[in-house]
Amino acid sequence: MTLTAQKTTNSSATGALSHGTIAKERFVLMAGPTQPRPANQHMRRNPPIAGEQEAIDKAREGDGRAFETLYAMHKRRVYSLCLRMLGNVAEAEDLTQEAFLQLYRKIGTFRGDSAFSTWLHRLAVNVVLMHLRRKGLPQVSLEETLEPSQDDGPRKDIGARDLTLSGSIDRVTLERAIENLPPGYRLVFVLHDVEGYEHNEIAEMLDCSIGNSKSQLHKARMKLRDLLRTGQRKEQIA
Amino acid sequence: MIVMRSMDKTMTCAEFQDALPELFEAQSDLSAHEHLKTCENCAALVRDLEYIASQARLLLPIHDPSPAVWDNIQQAIRRGDPEPPAAVRK
Repeated sequence: MTLTAQKTTNSSATGALSHGTIAKERFVLMAGPTQPRPANQHMRRNPPIAGEQEAIDKAREGDGRAFETLYAMHKRRVYSLCLRMLGNVAEAEDLTQEAFLQLYRKIGTFRGDSAFSTWLHRLAVNVVLMHLRRKGLPQVSLEETLEPSQDDGPRKDIGARDLTLSGSIDRVTLERAIENLPPGYRLVFVLHDVEGYEHNEIAEMLDCSIGNSKSQLHKARMKLRDLLRTGQRKEQIA
Repeated sequence: MIVMRSMDKTMTCAEFQDALPELFEAQSDLSAHEHLKTCENCAALVRDLEYIASQARLLLPIHDPSPAVWDNIQQAIRRGDPEPPAAVRK
């Protein structure tokens, strides 16, 4: 995958125009305990959004209100992806801004071959990857970015009977463990297990194979298990 | 899948764990897998991975970017930083 250099924008600047209203709340905050479900049973989290196509059509013609509507529809997910990948509010806001400026620039090229949300996430993922590489990750292909070094990867769990995790993870602990995943694993894990994208959608976003997406997700879960179990052992020792 | 079933009983832990990414996608209830009936270690692994995936679904996005982000986007568009959509440039 070829990535082009992006212009970084300054999130500290303030604007004169008012912020638009949220066109439609897409997210449901699930509260309370839930029973573990098989890992491949997904809620439908990316349903079509009422009014989205009309907003896309108008935004392509330069309608500012329509673009604002698209921003309101998608800002939370794009921002959350950036925040989980960077762990820093200021950087996440900068990249959210950059992703939507790219959307403004490129919306005319959206052909509807995939869901708009998937297409927009692909833009955002590219912005995030470019930023991570600028910050110090080597200039490598996406495949290499997705494949951490052996030291960072998960171990097979053969003959290592130990405590199990079930029922013992709270949200903060899991969020912290996700932050400690190598970026490539984190990206696929967040897109699939948190955001609810399917492997074919992730493969499209990341320009990788579906098999690669499945493999990276599995390694991410295995690595998370390592991290969470290590954390539990430390707690027990303390 | 047929080939996999015929191997169930003779699968080693390494083979089972190598097959897990596909098994997770293909089977809704892995607890019925033959290998897990006799291997507590792999059964615990599967329970943990399913638990991690289920907990991750609770981490839905709940934060919005600050209003300054939209303000900055509008300012940049007004300055002409990003080129407008192609339809507008015609």
